[in-house]
Amino acid sequence: MRSLDRLFEQSARQLARRTSRRSLIGTLGGLLTGAALLPLLPIDRGSRAHAAEPAARAAGPESCQYWKYCAIDGYLCSCCGGSATACPPGTAASPIAWVGTCHNPADGRDYMVSYNDCCGKTTCGTCDCTRAEREKPMYRPSRNNDLNWCMANADANYHCTVSVIVGVAEK
Amino acid sequence: MVSSARCLAALRLLLALLPAAAAAAAPPPPLAAEHLSVQQLPPRSPHWVWVFDEAFANEIDMRVHLYDGDNYRRLGQIDAGYYSSFNLSPDAATTVVATTYFARGSRGARTDLVEFTDNRTLEVRGEIVLPPKRVQTLPTLFNVAYSSDARLLYVSYVTPAASFGVLDPANRTVLGEIDTAGCVLVIPSGPNRVSSLCESGRLLTVTLDAAGHETGRAMSDPFFDADRDPVFVQGIRTVKGYAFLSFLGQVHEIDFSGEQPRIGAPWSLLAAPEQGVWRPGAQQVGAVHRGLGRLYVPMHKGGEGTHKDGGTEIWVYDLASHQRLARWPMQTRGLTHIIALEVSQDEAPLLFAATDTAQLAVIDARSGRLRHVEQHFGQTPWQILVP
Repeated sequence: MRSLDRLFEQSARQLARRTSRRSLIGTLGGLLTGAALLPLLPIDRGSRAHAAEPAARAAGPESCQYWKYCAIDGYLCSCCGGSATACPPGTAASPIAWVGTCHNPADGRDYMVSYNDCCGKTTCGTCDCTRAEREKPMYRPSRNNDLNWCMANADANYHCTVSVIVGVAEK
Repeated sequence: MVSSARCLAALRLLLALLPAAAAAAAPPPPLAAEHLSVQQLPPRSPHWVWVFDEAFANEIDMRVHLYDGDNYRRLGQIDAGYYSSFNLSPDAATTVVATTYFARGSRGARTDLVEFTDNRTLEVRGEIVLPPKRVQTLPTLFNVAYSSDARLLYVSYVTPAASFGVLDPANRTVLGEIDTAGCVLVIPSGPNRVSSLCESGRLLTVTLDAAGHETGRAMSDPFFDADRDPVFVQGIRTVKGYAFLSFLGQVHEIDFSGEQPRIGAPWSLLAAPEQGVWRPGAQQVGAVHRGLGRLYVPMHKGGEGTHKDGGTEIWVYDLASHQRLARWPMQTRGLTHIIALEVSQDEAPLLFAATDTAQLAVIDARSGRLRHVEQHFGQTPWQILVP
């Protein structure tokens, strides 16, 4: 089923690219499925995240203000038995994800972050965190955090969300 | 001697009162035997609303509450399963819920389906099983929607490839699936047209035949820029179609009454000093009273990334003149941020506003006067519908 879904996804993204005037970010999102660990991804940083920087600097991975969570919407896996980059035991990571571009106040860089859902158990219910910096509606799915990104998992139940650095967002 | 006389008088009084006291102490007659029953709904009122609780803390258990805005009472509940969406049939006789169930509760085989609830009884009267592609997203009018004659039902699919299912609700069958080339959602118009929103800022409109098969498709000119100022996908029903608000406060009114959508010139919710300061934001970003021609929008002060923040005020506009008629602060009414909004369509309209702390407020839609507030109305009431 996953390979079939990937085939559909690839087909959809090709179609979307054909119908889009501004397909750069969509194309990057397409490349990012499965949180592929591409080292560097060019992306416009003209409108970087605007988290309150003193709070963001102080916040850790169990805080919604943590800098990597700038476009997250869901429950923080770091509060649910996992971590900012690990799904809790007994869940499965979604192979598809949305992405955000977040500013790290510690080093002054912008990073592309992959938000993968962890799937297979019902909602964690702890550390609800909704931030939507540069988040886009569903017609740009690679930037949308309303969709259930467990949708293509064998068990599509949503549990929580991790935030995985993919690379530095270049100008 | 005086005190003895007083004691005697008191004793006489006590003796006189004894029969009355004895009568007062007798147990009341027993309560009559009761009869167990199931409450029947009264005839539908224009002040009934359907309130969708996304149940964000336990999403396999979403539900729709039916609420009476005159008597301030819950009338009943429609269960909605996992990451679901709902809508009303054009005659409001039926609630359709598009949902997903897992065979073992929170796990196991996935079944996607639409369920039809009779709004006279709140009983589920039927279902149609779907391919496991139904869009699992937050509520909009366009996740599941009827054609104007109710002969067809459309269901948005995202796997994340985008398409939609065409269903025959009368015969409980799936007629087919239409690829939408990356465009999303099902905006119904007329008996046989479906439009979808595209990343390019255009509308794709697919025309169907009587069997639900595609007979043609067309793309509109672009009407928004997804990079600079995207539109919310939570369209608002108007007299001839829908209005789409943009993140920065532009109003795009689209007439869906013809063969192809006609996109009106956008206008702004904001006067020049307000631009860049105030903006719309919510899960359900506005409501229109079609008879009065009034638009209600939850507004807040905020910048990039605050489009899901609820409104601290409701701003009221005249759709014909684009003039703002009122600003209604919510804090002074004891309300937190407005996250969903709907208005009844009668001549004594009520505005229903749900907040980010699960309040449900009933407001006079002409004056803004707060009539009632329900506290703890479910967990996350993120969409309200009226017929």
